[in-house]
Amino acid sequence: MDFALIAAAHAQTAQQAANAAPKMDPLHHFQVVNYINIAPLGFDISISNSVLWMWIVVAVVFGLFRYALRNPSLVPGRMQSVAEAGYLFVDNMINEIIGHEGKKFFPIVFTLFFFVLFCNWTGLIPGSFTVTSQLIVTGTLALAIFVFCIFLGAYHHGWKFLGFFVPHGLPPALLPLMVPIEIISFLARPVSLSVRLFANMTAGHTVLGVLFFFTATMAWFGAWLPFGFTVVFTGMEIFIGFIQAYIFTILTCVYINDSLHMH
Amino acid sequence: MIASAHASAGGAAASSGLPQFEPSVFGSQIFWTVVSFFLLMMLLKKYVLPAIINILDSRASRISDDLQKAEQARKEGERLLTNYQGQLVAARQVAAQTLEEARQESARQRDQALEELNKELAKKKNAALIEIEQAKQKAMEEVRGAAVELSMLVAEKLIVQSIGQDNARRMVDEAVKQLGESPRLH
Amino acid sequence: MESLPASFIGMGLAATGLGGAGIGLGYMFGKAIEAFARQPSAEGQLAKYVWIGAAFVEAIALYGLVLAFIIMGKG
Repeated sequence: MDFALIAAAHAQTAQQAANAAPKMDPLHHFQVVNYINIAPLGFDISISNSVLWMWIVVAVVFGLFRYALRNPSLVPGRMQSVAEAGYLFVDNMINEIIGHEGKKFFPIVFTLFFFVLFCNWTGLIPGSFTVTSQLIVTGTLALAIFVFCIFLGAYHHGWKFLGFFVPHGLPPALLPLMVPIEIISFLARPVSLSVRLFANMTAGHTVLGVLFFFTATMAWFGAWLPFGFTVVFTGMEIFIGFIQAYIFTILTCVYINDSLHMH
Repeated sequence: MIASAHASAGGAAASSGLPQFEPSVFGSQIFWTVVSFFLLMMLLKKYVLPAIINILDSRASRISDDLQKAEQARKEGERLLTNYQGQLVAARQVAAQTLEEARQESARQRDQALEELNKELAKKKNAALIEIEQAKQKAMEEVRGAAVELSMLVAEKLIVQSIGQDNARRMVDEAVKQLGESPRLH
Repeated sequence: MESLPASFIGMGLAATGLGGAGIGLGYMFGKAIEAFARQPSAEGQLAKYVWIGAAFVEAIALYGLVLAFIIMGKG
């Protein structure tokens, strides 16, 4: 009863505060807003801000690469060097983790890296929407990779792929314990993969939202402090965006490698 | 209560704290994520990756070509160097030979000159010896002639004048004086 | 128990998970600096793994944060 009273009072004061001052809502910019509702045959394919920014990312990645390679020459210009460095970066990653067989997965890994990277980076533009801060987007990508890896393993090894869950060199007595753990850790892969990226993006942008709120509401002599932090933190976010895209891609490579070579 | 506050703030009905957990927008995002990803993959695969691979391959082949050319140039240079060194050795041999020949020639000429000089000197020496001999003979003959003349004069005086030592001495002195005045001895 | 205060308490508890990540990050960077001091020539190769490790540890902290947000929605 006490709790109810406190809660009611709390809600009342909160309401009053909301009416009096601007309300802090750092989660507002994660809100998906449908611009055009399209639902043929009951399946929702509405165009929302998230979808719009996916398209922008596709356009930006493709446009940048085409611009960088508009007249390729043996002695590369600045943009061409960057494009080649991106290619060699992914190529190096695949060679290191998967090896020579990884060549045929190059387009998938390359696209994944640049899609995630530019989703992370375009989200830092003020007023834009961070596509990778949507759990369902990262979840779709992670689940697609997961399913792809299972099919790859089944294709290459058939039923032997189930041996993936039996660790090598283990006393048979421990098998009933270890096999479920292996299965659970295998099933946790898409969850950790998607939640890692989504949580990083969400947390970073929430912090930025809070700092911007302070910048906007504080008096001028205090506002420079949170504003300075937003500048520093935006730089940090650029770095985190890159690192997370890298980790997302490198783990994809590791999973593909596991499917091909089974540990 | 927070949820209702959010609903008023966010516009759409949010059933949870984070807008990301709102399931009503999941369908379209799943669809468009897959479509966008495959669209990007197709675009990159068709228009970007071949261009990059092409340029990297052509650069690699260019570099290997250049390396090959450099290797050829290096071999050519080595060949030229060996050639040149061979020529140098040959030239050195020729020079040494020429020098040796010149040395031998000069030695030969020197020997010859020396020999000729020796011959000349010997000839001159012989001539001088002969001349000296002749001069000696001549002088001897002259001395002998003078002695004969002197002895004849002395004998003449001895015979002509009376015997006396003083006279004889005087006569010999005279004779010697005459002999000394005689122009034949000069 | 009333759900609102309980959810606040739950959010706070979920966020304490960040402390573990803090310890992990500190430990990892401390060890990394130690390693760099011992072998400065290996810094270039090791720095890559340090940053990847930092991102992993940070992600674990953020799981707690996401949990806090989920609890916030249930309140």
